[in-house]
Amino acid sequence: MSNTSETLIQIEDMSRRDALRSIALAVTVVAGGQMKLEAAQHVHSQAKEEKKKSGSYKAKLFNEHEFKTLGRLAELIVPADAVSGSARDAGAPEFIDLLASQNDDLAAIFTGGLSWLDAEMRKRFSAPFVEAKAEQQTAMLDLLVQAEQTDRDRKTKGQTYEASEHYKHFKSYGIYAASDLGPGVAFFDWARKMTVDAFYTSEIGIKDVDFRGNGSVSKYEVPKEVIDYALNHSPFAS
Amino acid sequence: MAQVRRSPEEHEVVVVGSGAGGGSAVQVLTEKGIQVTLLEAGPMLDPAKEFKEHMWPYEVDHRGAEEGGAAYFGKGKSFGYFTTSSGGWQLEGEPYTVGEGSEFLWFRSRIIGGRTNHYGRMSFRFSDYDFKPYDRDGLGTNWPISYQDLAPYYDKAEAFIGVTGSKEGIRSAPDGVFQDPPPPKAHEILIKKACDRIGIPCIPNRRAVITRELNGRPPCHYCGQCGRGCLTASNYASSQVQIFPAMKTGKLKVIDMAMAREVLTDGNGKVVGVSYIDKRTRAEERIRCRAVILAASACESARILLNSKSKHFPHGLANGSGVVGRFLMDTVGFGLSGQVPALEGLPHYDTDGFGGAHLYMPWWLWEKHNEVGFPRGYHIEIGGGYGMPGIGSFHRQARKYGYGKNLKEGVRKEYGTTVGFAGRGEMIPNNHSYCEIDPKVVDKWGIPVLRFHFKWTDYEWKQARHMERTFAEIIETMGGKVLGLSAAERESSGISVPGTIIHEVGTARMGNDPRTSAVNGFCQAHEAKNLFVCDGGPFVSNPDKNPTLTINALSWRSCDYLAEEMRKGHV
Repeated sequence: MSNTSETLIQIEDMSRRDALRSIALAVTVVAGGQMKLEAAQHVHSQAKEEKKKSGSYKAKLFNEHEFKTLGRLAELIVPADAVSGSARDAGAPEFIDLLASQNDDLAAIFTGGLSWLDAEMRKRFSAPFVEAKAEQQTAMLDLLVQAEQTDRDRKTKGQTYEASEHYKHFKSYGIYAASDLGPGVAFFDWARKMTVDAFYTSEIGIKDVDFRGNGSVSKYEVPKEVIDYALNHSPFAS
Repeated sequence: MAQVRRSPEEHEVVVVGSGAGGGSAVQVLTEKGIQVTLLEAGPMLDPAKEFKEHMWPYEVDHRGAEEGGAAYFGKGKSFGYFTTSSGGWQLEGEPYTVGEGSEFLWFRSRIIGGRTNHYGRMSFRFSDYDFKPYDRDGLGTNWPISYQDLAPYYDKAEAFIGVTGSKEGIRSAPDGVFQDPPPPKAHEILIKKACDRIGIPCIPNRRAVITRELNGRPPCHYCGQCGRGCLTASNYASSQVQIFPAMKTGKLKVIDMAMAREVLTDGNGKVVGVSYIDKRTRAEERIRCRAVILAASACESARILLNSKSKHFPHGLANGSGVVGRFLMDTVGFGLSGQVPALEGLPHYDTDGFGGAHLYMPWWLWEKHNEVGFPRGYHIEIGGGYGMPGIGSFHRQARKYGYGKNLKEGVRKEYGTTVGFAGRGEMIPNNHSYCEIDPKVVDKWGIPVLRFHFKWTDYEWKQARHMERTFAEIIETMGGKVLGLSAAERESSGISVPGTIIHEVGTARMGNDPRTSAVNGFCQAHEAKNLFVCDGGPFVSNPDKNPTLTINALSWRSCDYLAEEMRKGHV
């Protein structure tokens, strides 16, 4: 693994054609996993650069307004910070657009959800989501997250209640009023889980969590400082 | 039956199925110079094309969620897009049915190598007491063979496929022929410390992965992606380790896309060949041979036997006892995870390892079944570490932390701090758990399908509750907090759905008495000397040791015996 960074530097100097050639070569070498991998990554990021240069992504399913709203949601769900970029930078809107364009059920979840969100924003703040102020946008998301938490608590309690032998004939009683935000909570959960997936499966996200694997080593070792750290922070510290 | 072709060629041995049992049969028989014809219901495997080893999720535009986000709707590939599992819980056009009041899921792979291409590769020997369960607790039935009968074949199988491990001298987990295991990861060291405190043995894992070169196979390169298929064949899969090498000897003929319909017998009740459907043409083909080995998986082999009806065998072949399809067992599964603060802030490192945990816990209370209140044991498998981020990796944290800065920091803080425990326990065979031919349904090849019936009993439920208490104790001893199920939800998921551990065995059990068993101790049918069942079918019990290694060893032993019987002219 020690030569990984050197390999990377070399590869950055290569043209795309060179990289492709090295892939072809590496495939013929049984133990060439590492080289093949680095080269493949390089080609991938080059292709992405080219895509950026060639102009903006053209949404397959969403209209411009919907796509912009998804982009704003992505920035709010996983924002840029000192460590890494946002879920928007990581391609979350494109990821959602692609999959939703292939699946009517998913498309309905998103077009319907985005429309619900705008309607709710107009009611509360007289502006659709993307045009509202940042604090209004986060106020809306805070409401959804709170409603989600309340729903979850109620569900847990409700189940315990229903599970009790003594109260089973009360099973159908709606003792808590359902939240008006229900459709928004369901939509936000979809938007969030797909945004989070898009972010953490991107190069940006994988680097953000500092994943160190997917390599090839001849001997597997666990660094001593890691073991010491874990033991010192555990109930087994001597 | 419009199109039935009879092959003029006389084959020596026909093996049906290419997984652990079929692969071992192919290896052992071709090594002895015997000509083998292998039938596989799926296509040939092309590792270079199929295996997604080392791929990053961003190398595909759906990132692993598959077209239309199928994975979000539970319709993605079993065990994830990047695994090499071919097949699944439901196969297009090849249904099975489940009897009223039962629940059962049946995982089938249709490809050369079968389920060994993606399985967990846990490789545990049965213990001496596992072969005589009835003698210990009066439940189930004894095997007609003993540990001493199988031990030499465990040695051969381990030496050939390559299994890691260490000499421990623990009765429930007999030592074997081992390659060196990799060292434990940080979270595993904490788990071991907790187990030491509680009194549970926690030892190097025994997996079919090689850590040094073996028969030209390079050692593991520790990418942790065994489930994706290994391009260097550094783990065991019958395809790469047994079948591909056998193909090079010229002794093996592989017929893929061949769906076995039945074993053919002549007017005297002698097994003479196999009939199968060529999936490419939908024509029925018949091949003649000297001996047949069924290794299509326990239930699929039972199905073939039950469908092989004739004047001599009105209830199906090898089924004069009526036991074919009966005594179906799966493994008891229960899992619990915990979040461990001691792992927060740990300097990140590569936790991929050799694909699976580096430690495991064998059963430790074999002398104390009266105290624990259930008759059979379980072992514990471990999860944890910094897994490659994928679809769904951080949904729990996303819901916990809401959105924004909190979410991003929460994911960083909790990533890699979760440990998981999976119990794998022995069930007792019972009269409610079996498969039979559904009298009304055929698959798209016209072959009558299986109908499953299954019930866990109190023995299994009690064992699962013991797993739960034990795992919680380990997590808490590490200073962690149990995650997951609320009390109400637990009721429905406190034990695995039958079939889902994919250890189904027992449907053509072995025994000395032809009135109560389908095959003898060499997996040879009582009713036909030239018919063998070399998969999980002959298992008399299903100890907590994952079945694959024992299938390898039993198949090897049966084929040694078959070759000798052929040489003597008895078969």
